[in-house]
Amino acid sequence: MEQREDWEPKIVGFLCKWCSYAGADLAGTSRRKYPANIGIIKVPCSGRVDPLFILKALRLGFDGVLVSGCHPGECHYLTGNYRARRKFAITKKFLEYLGVDPRRLQGSWVSASEGDKFAHVVTEMTKQLKEIGANRLFADDK
Amino acid sequence: MINSARQQRLIDEAKALLKQGKVRWIIGFEAGSLKFTTTPLITADAGDTSRLVINSFIVNNLSNFLPELEGRIGIVAKGCDSRSIVSLIQDSKVRREDVVILAVPCSGLIDLAKVEQLIGKDRDEIDAISRKDDKVIVTLAGAKREFSISEALYDNCLACELPTPQEYDILLGEPILPSNEPAAGQKKLDELKKMSPEARWQFWKKELERCIRCYACRNACPACYCQRCFVEETEPQWLLPIPHWQDNLMFQITMDIHVAGRCTDCGECQRACPVNIPLRSLTKEMYDIVADLFHFKAGMDKEALPLMTHYEQEEAEDLIG
Repeated sequence: MEQREDWEPKIVGFLCKWCSYAGADLAGTSRRKYPANIGIIKVPCSGRVDPLFILKALRLGFDGVLVSGCHPGECHYLTGNYRARRKFAITKKFLEYLGVDPRRLQGSWVSASEGDKFAHVVTEMTKQLKEIGANRLFADDK
Repeated sequence: MINSARQQRLIDEAKALLKQGKVRWIIGFEAGSLKFTTTPLITADAGDTSRLVINSFIVNNLSNFLPELEGRIGIVAKGCDSRSIVSLIQDSKVRREDVVILAVPCSGLIDLAKVEQLIGKDRDEIDAISRKDDKVIVTLAGAKREFSISEALYDNCLACELPTPQEYDILLGEPILPSNEPAAGQKKLDELKKMSPEARWQFWKKELERCIRCYACRNACPACYCQRCFVEETEPQWLLPIPHWQDNLMFQITMDIHVAGRCTDCGECQRACPVNIPLRSLTKEMYDIVADLFHFKAGMDKEALPLMTHYEQEEAEDLIG
């Protein structure tokens, strides 16, 4: 299927309530510009992100998934992000083996004070997804 | 691996365990109804133990039955099965004191499908299959043909890391060291990795189109033991119960993620599959990812914590920006 010229990637962002969500908020309140391609889902902790969330998002046709939480050692629940990292790492590696472009699934550590970093992460990811093109992994016609 | 002295010792030990009341159940193998095959034997009757067998076709991972039975259980375990048992103990699904492990050092199981392909004949036409050192000898119409183990054993047996159980109560026979051919066991995965990402995805799409979602892989897997599986959840409904390839693939990916750190590469999922989907090429990759990222191998170390319940301060950092 031809890609329309005005196509824009859609990203689902799972952001932890304590750091990355606040970081995204800061990016907004400090009027940092970043692409509107991301739809944000607030999770209590990055450890809440079940690999099923990621798969379901890809299955529904979202072009990329961002999982973002507190920096290692700074989790509000002390160890949630370390646990998130294990789940995230095996999911990313495994999807790559199956043939999913690793850039479709990205992770980042963004603290509540890093509005700039959040804007940068989303800008970068949107740029990369535009290079890869639309997610047709689960499309039937291919 | 056929060794009648060893089989006799198993029968004697199992009988004694039941008669002395040391166990309530014995789980082992008996001859199957089809040629060469074996089938699980679960019994509380000492008289039944004379049907127990040990040969090169005791494929099933019997640890799958452990959480389902009550009382102390004597179980026949090969290396891979013993790893599954250790893994179940770590997960508190089974208590060590409730299991008597009858360990069988295993030099690899013969893949009947591979043998059939090698000789181009059905298994019913084969007179005998035997094992001698690193050769598999097939007798066909009086004539003997020799094959190397890399041709005739299961892929996961070629990559076996623990032929002799580490954790056992009774050891049947002499311990065996790994003398396998890991490269031969890895061949199918290496072929896939050489393909482009798009071709790989298409490969899995094509394979999973055959899936009928019978869940035989899930039910055969000792590591997959949730009381309520996510596929049966309706709120939220993660995937549809009808066999669309998309849902089939999502089911497989999630199952592999769920058993990460518990999968011991016993190969049961692939053997259970009625439509021959090469599931081991999925599970083994997950096994390798876990070994590579976290230096964790399921069931190898009794003292280790389950994979997803602990972490290291510094690991997998390059995957997250």
